[in-house]
Amino acid sequence: MTPRVTLTGVTFTYPGGVRPAVRGLSMEVAAGEIVAVAGAAGAGASTLLLVATGLAPRLVGGSLAGERAIGARRSGIVFARPWTQLTGLCSTVRDEVAFGPAAAGRPLAEVAAAASRALHRLGIAHLAERDPAHLSGGELQRVVVAAALALEPELLALDDPAAELDPTAADALYALMPSLAADGAAVLLATPDVERAARVATRALVLEEGVIVADGRPGDVLPPTEVGALARAAGCPAPYPLDVPALLGRLTPDAGRRAHDTTDGPPAGSGPSTSGTAR
Amino acid sequence: MSGWDIRVEDIRYAYGDVEALRGISLEIRAGESVALIGRNGAGKTTLTRALVALNRPAAGRVAVGDWDVAARRPDEMARRIGYVFQHADQQLFARTVREDVSFGPRRLGRRGPVDAVLGELSLAPYADTHPYDVPGPLRKLVALAGVLAMEPGALILDEPTAGLDRVQRALVARALRRRSEAGVTLLVVSHDLGFVAEVAERVVVMERGRIVADRPARDFLYDTEVLGALELRPPATVEIGLALKLPGAPVRSEEVTAAMKGVKWKEYAG
Repeated sequence: MTPRVTLTGVTFTYPGGVRPAVRGLSMEVAAGEIVAVAGAAGAGASTLLLVATGLAPRLVGGSLAGERAIGARRSGIVFARPWTQLTGLCSTVRDEVAFGPAAAGRPLAEVAAAASRALHRLGIAHLAERDPAHLSGGELQRVVVAAALALEPELLALDDPAAELDPTAADALYALMPSLAADGAAVLLATPDVERAARVATRALVLEEGVIVADGRPGDVLPPTEVGALARAAGCPAPYPLDVPALLGRLTPDAGRRAHDTTDGPPAGSGPSTSGTAR
Repeated sequence: MSGWDIRVEDIRYAYGDVEALRGISLEIRAGESVALIGRNGAGKTTLTRALVALNRPAAGRVAVGDWDVAARRPDEMARRIGYVFQHADQQLFARTVREDVSFGPRRLGRRGPVDAVLGELSLAPYADTHPYDVPGPLRKLVALAGVLAMEPGALILDEPTAGLDRVQRALVARALRRRSEAGVTLLVVSHDLGFVAEVAERVVVMERGRIVADRPARDFLYDTEVLGALELRPPATVEIGLALKLPGAPVRSEEVTAAMKGVKWKEYAG
């Protein structure tokens, strides 16, 4: 099957930029993959998403060198600041979500069905008749994700899509990604939420100053999670656990007793790790 | 620095026919650090905006210290409360980060600790950069620096860690703890219970425009029954504290690592 996107030595510079935002990107993303893109702020993760979906330079201007082949027939993107993505033309959430497929010229019945499916997938059908201007930040973020899904994209780029979601909504959004991938979409996911990303990603890229410096299994290449950093501070040898079950799995059976020097607690860490371990 | 107390008495607010606040009463003591949590659409942002005169409740009363907020303009409220928007891009406007951060104190007729705050939030390398050329997540830190430089007696921060990575989150937590220890009143809206554990001594929970819980943070974060009913998981620090039965119910990272002193680790078995 044709990859959803292939980049070969791609360098992109924003208009007026003194140096490229990303340099020499070479990567291929296939249908069914969920690729987490990590890196410090300014490392180029958001730019990689714009380049991979064809929006840079088409939408943002600038110059692109190298070879890019976008195999996806439809692509969708969710920006890190979702309120910038509203059309400003729709007075209901339903119309906002339907705008993309309608603008693509799809028949009205298909547009309505796609919008309805997307609203239900994001758990926001109850907001369908609300005015987007009166929604909370988290509600708005789900509307923008639904609008991207209504396009039924073969390549979906998500830039920190759960930044403003409550934990339940964030977990639900991440849980949705494998089903989108199973339906044939390729998902590119930029986020600082390493723990959630590691749960769903099939692969991870790490960027530093616009260059891909690692490409591999999420547990091997993603930076330490909150739990990993805590384990490291408490003396755990590398590789550091990604989450609490993995941390408990790394402790000796008498860890609980040793921690508080009493015998009233059950031994901790006696079970096997149920989750991953990072560097 | 003396903080401001905040008193909210039975306020109501609606967007058209959607009731966002349905009779909220809340008292925050001067110098207290409070986290405001709740599902998307619960009314958290609407409530905080009412505290700084950015919206006007249809009923009820809000007071900050001896000021009745109904009689004040938002720019007056900025003298008492530093407010960081959920979408902080909306409050950046100057041509450089330094100018933006200097704007608030200058309006108060002071120089303000601009360089110190830029350094504290690791923004010094961006001081001469246009705010919109700063990477997106860091713009939130620029907005935070702007209000910290005004040295207000109260801070209200709406999702201050959204989009930030672990290291940036820790910077924000440290900066807020310093203000809190200096007596500044703190109200933080957040979905991030790990961050709440680091900065708050009290947690207020909103649902559908009402306050449904108001507890000391440590009690709340260790109450797995209440957290479960609210569809929340304890932060990782508390999960570890519960699993290892760590003494003192630690909630902050440094408390947990200190309480774990002496544990033995196994090598990774793959």
